Amino acid sequence: MNKWYIGEGDHNDIVISTRIRLARNLKDYPFPARLDNKSKIKVNELVRDALEGREKLDYTELKTLTRAQIVSLAERHIISTEFASSSDGRALLMSEDEQISIMLCEEDHIRLQVMKSGLDLQGAYELADRIDNEINEKLEYAFDERLGYLTQFPTNLGTGMRASVVLHLPALAEKGQLNSLASTVSKLGLTLRGAYGDGTAPFGDLYQLSNQVSLGISEKAAIDNLKTIALQLAAQERSAREEMKDSKLTEDAVYRAYGILKSARILSTKEFMTLISRVRYGAVCGMLKVDLKTINELMVSLQPATINAFVGRTLTKDERDVERANIVRDRL
Amino acid sequence: MLCQNCQKNEATTHIKRIVNGETTQAHLCSDCAKSLGYDSMFTDFSFNFPDMLSSFFNDTALASLGAHTLRCEKCGSSFGDIVRSGRIGCADCYETFYDKLLPLLERVHGKTNHVGKIPNSFEEIAKEEKSEHSELETLRAELDEAVKAQNYEKAAELRDKIKELESEGKTDE
Ligand SMILES: [Zn+2]
Ligand SMILES: [Zn+2]
Repeated sequence: MNKWYIGEGDHNDIVISTRIRLARNLKDYPFPARLDNKSKIKVNELVRDALEGREKLDYTELKTLTRAQIVSLAERHIISTEFASSSDGRALLMSEDEQISIMLCEEDHIRLQVMKSGLDLQGAYELADRIDNEINEKLEYAFDERLGYLTQFPTNLGTGMRASVVLHLPALAEKGQLNSLASTVSKLGLTLRGAYGDGTAPFGDLYQLSNQVSLGISEKAAIDNLKTIALQLAAQERSAREEMKDSKLTEDAVYRAYGILKSARILSTKEFMTLISRVRYGAVCGMLKVDLKTINELMVSLQPATINAFVGRTLTKDERDVERANIVRDRL
Repeated sequence: MLCQNCQKNEATTHIKRIVNGETTQAHLCSDCAKSLGYDSMFTDFSFNFPDMLSSFFNDTALASLGAHTLRCEKCGSSFGDIVRSGRIGCADCYETFYDKLLPLLERVHGKTNHVGKIPNSFEEIAKEEKSEHSELETLRAELDEAVKAQNYEKAAELRDKIKELESEGKTDE
């Protein structure tokens, strides 16, 4: 079964993925922090049953998974870090291609997420909206006419929606423009931050652009706003790439990165992400003949816990770095 | 608790993150949080709202709000409980503590009125209300016309209908 990220999608030279998340709560139950485990499981099963026969989703109680499996889901952004931090009373509904995931009893009863390859906010929203309606046909949501969908944190009131895209911005990062871009987009109601690793030194030049505000703005307006800014950032990245494309230094960096990835015996997450970012840039510019699907897949699947989950046991950091290098040589 | 990064300032921002395949919690002061890229209130869906809530409502503000006396009838939370836990208790809490939460909502979102999707059940109610309203409006317009045309018999008839509709609306509430 192909995973969602194996597809390519629009603007895939820059936009890696699109994500829509909706927060919902059932009217008749207090929010998760005020529920005991038994009631949480009751809520989880109500949602599972509401979608029975409508969507093909697997239901998994988190406590049945290993730590590595859970953290791996978080590394691949299928579940949140918060969700991965505790298993008690939490369950996950997920489609086989991992495109749809529903976190049950995280900070809300329902956190529905849809992922798409490339830039596809409309497609992701339509799918999320459909599943949202299917749940709502069976279960009544906590809703208030003034405040919209009611959530455990007031920051998600209103539409309860977070829309985001992950952008690959190596040229803008190289030019040192990301801090000023981040502060510009924040004035437009959006956040730009590293998608992997720490905020200031993100791994692999991958940045997540998302909407901040959910109350007083419609889903459509929020999505249109995000799309406009994402396309502007993509245009700026393209022209920055154009500027540095013919430089020998750029070419050298791309081929060196490719050479190291193809022959290294030990690769840390950070080194791997730095090098694969250059290779991705080289592939998009036509310098290297490497499939973008393979690169995207490696970028999301070589995080530490994902490797552990893949080999089926907990490796030490050193063992993991060797395993990562093996996988990379094999795939490139 | 001291900030893990500088070991100098009090940690006010608590962020869950993944380091080397494990989930860990970082405790940072606001300066370090900012320099590490966690300054945005919305790092993800679940951000450090509890920290923000407790800085927004300090103890004196809480006391003046009578935060410990009023309780949500459904889940039993007082406003003090909400600030302490950093989480709203249940849907009814929003009704109970609406006035107290409003300034915070305004600061977070800039706006305080929902526009956007409405759940099924509410959509139907909203439609019914709308059609009820428009029926009333048509009748009122007809009444005005009838009065103007000095057709008092028709006006009396319309007035009765309007009264009937209005009282139906009230018993619904
Ligand atoms: Zn500090
Ligand atoms: Zn309550």
